[in-house]
Amino acid sequence: MTTEKTISLEINGRFFQAREGMTILDVAKREGIPIPTLCYHEALESVGNCRLCMVEITHPDWKGWKGLVTSCLYPVEEGLQVTTDNKTIWNTRRTILDLLLARCPDSDVIQKLAAEYGVTVTSYRKNDVETKCILCGLCVRVCAAKGANAISSAGRGIEKMIARPFDQPPPDCIGCASCAHICPTGAIEYEDTPEVRKIWGHSFKMVKCESCGRPIMPEKQLEFEAEKSGLDPAYFKTCSVCSQRKSIDTIRSAFDMKAVGLGEPVEVAR
Amino acid sequence: MTETCIDPNKARKILERYPEGDASGLIHALQDIQAEFGYVAHEAVELLCEHLNVPISKAFSAATFYKAFSLEPKGEVIIRVCTGTACHIRGSRILVDELCAALGIEPGGTTKDLKFTLETVNCVGACAMAPVVSINGKYHGNVQPGSLTKLIQDGK
Repeated sequence: MTTEKTISLEINGRFFQAREGMTILDVAKREGIPIPTLCYHEALESVGNCRLCMVEITHPDWKGWKGLVTSCLYPVEEGLQVTTDNKTIWNTRRTILDLLLARCPDSDVIQKLAAEYGVTVTSYRKNDVETKCILCGLCVRVCAAKGANAISSAGRGIEKMIARPFDQPPPDCIGCASCAHICPTGAIEYEDTPEVRKIWGHSFKMVKCESCGRPIMPEKQLEFEAEKSGLDPAYFKTCSVCSQRKSIDTIRSAFDMKAVGLGEPVEVAR
Repeated sequence: MTETCIDPNKARKILERYPEGDASGLIHALQDIQAEFGYVAHEAVELLCEHLNVPISKAFSAATFYKAFSLEPKGEVIIRVCTGTACHIRGSRILVDELCAALGIEPGGTTKDLKFTLETVNCVGACAMAPVVSINGKYHGNVQPGSLTKLIQDGK
């Protein structure tokens, strides 16, 4: 058994215990302390792109030094004193949201978040290009985690964007639409019909559940999942609802002893 | 975009120099492709990605990040006009305007016959001989608008 070191730290004047290796954000989330995030997802490694989760840290040994760090990346330390909301942090987040609102004036997510920090109209020049993308890179990271690696960022500076390689339908895209689902601002568009899913310029044929006929996933994704997991492709051809029902039936019939030929249940003496 | 086909054998020859499946060769190989074909050709990148076992999206990301790479075919003669501070003060703007008018292209553009590409660069580090124009990598200092035609003729 590995003995994990327990660390105690202070957040907003309250003391908390944490495991070594946890980040400040992990502890705050566990304790229900609100810290706004855009580019964070618990399933993926944090990168600190959006800078919205900034918190102020200090330590009794730091001789009064304090600084702003991204809580999604900063690992907990013994005796660390964290403040998740004060004037400095508020102003920092306000500036970030002001800039994001200038980039994506039409994004309802950004509008709402910015309004929470008192920004209803950006003080910067509005973006000429219509986009909801804040370049947090979650879509690229989830695509890499999936193993498809179909999309990436292209260019840099003000021209940076999330793009398809060579502006063509990405050859590695499996149509899972994870990118669209994970996007915090809903910037990636896709279209679903029972027959096809249209995403990134592809048109994927959907596989339908063998029991109920509901579309499950694109054919290409099914092939990909089967190869990656080493499971029989047939396994993926039943939707989650139907496969759940199936396993319930299997368990039921296993316990129905008559069905498995064990005769009447024996009364156990108490 | 002009569709130009590249010789896949030439691309394969470049790839031979890089160990298979080693992603660290990506930038070097892209540079070699750029040097061989004058631009980062889509077909060559596909071969490269297969060879190095790198997703195409990664290679595209790298190729678009660095200004040294071009995804569009470039002209035989690449004219770079320095527009750094010293060159700007000494009239590089006039040189750019002259060249744009003479070639009928904007900075960053390539003539339709793929003969000339005109680029502006921020500083070539030769401020003492401003304004500087580099033609196919050769630097020319104290360039006057009148001497441009001759320089380009020589560079051809």
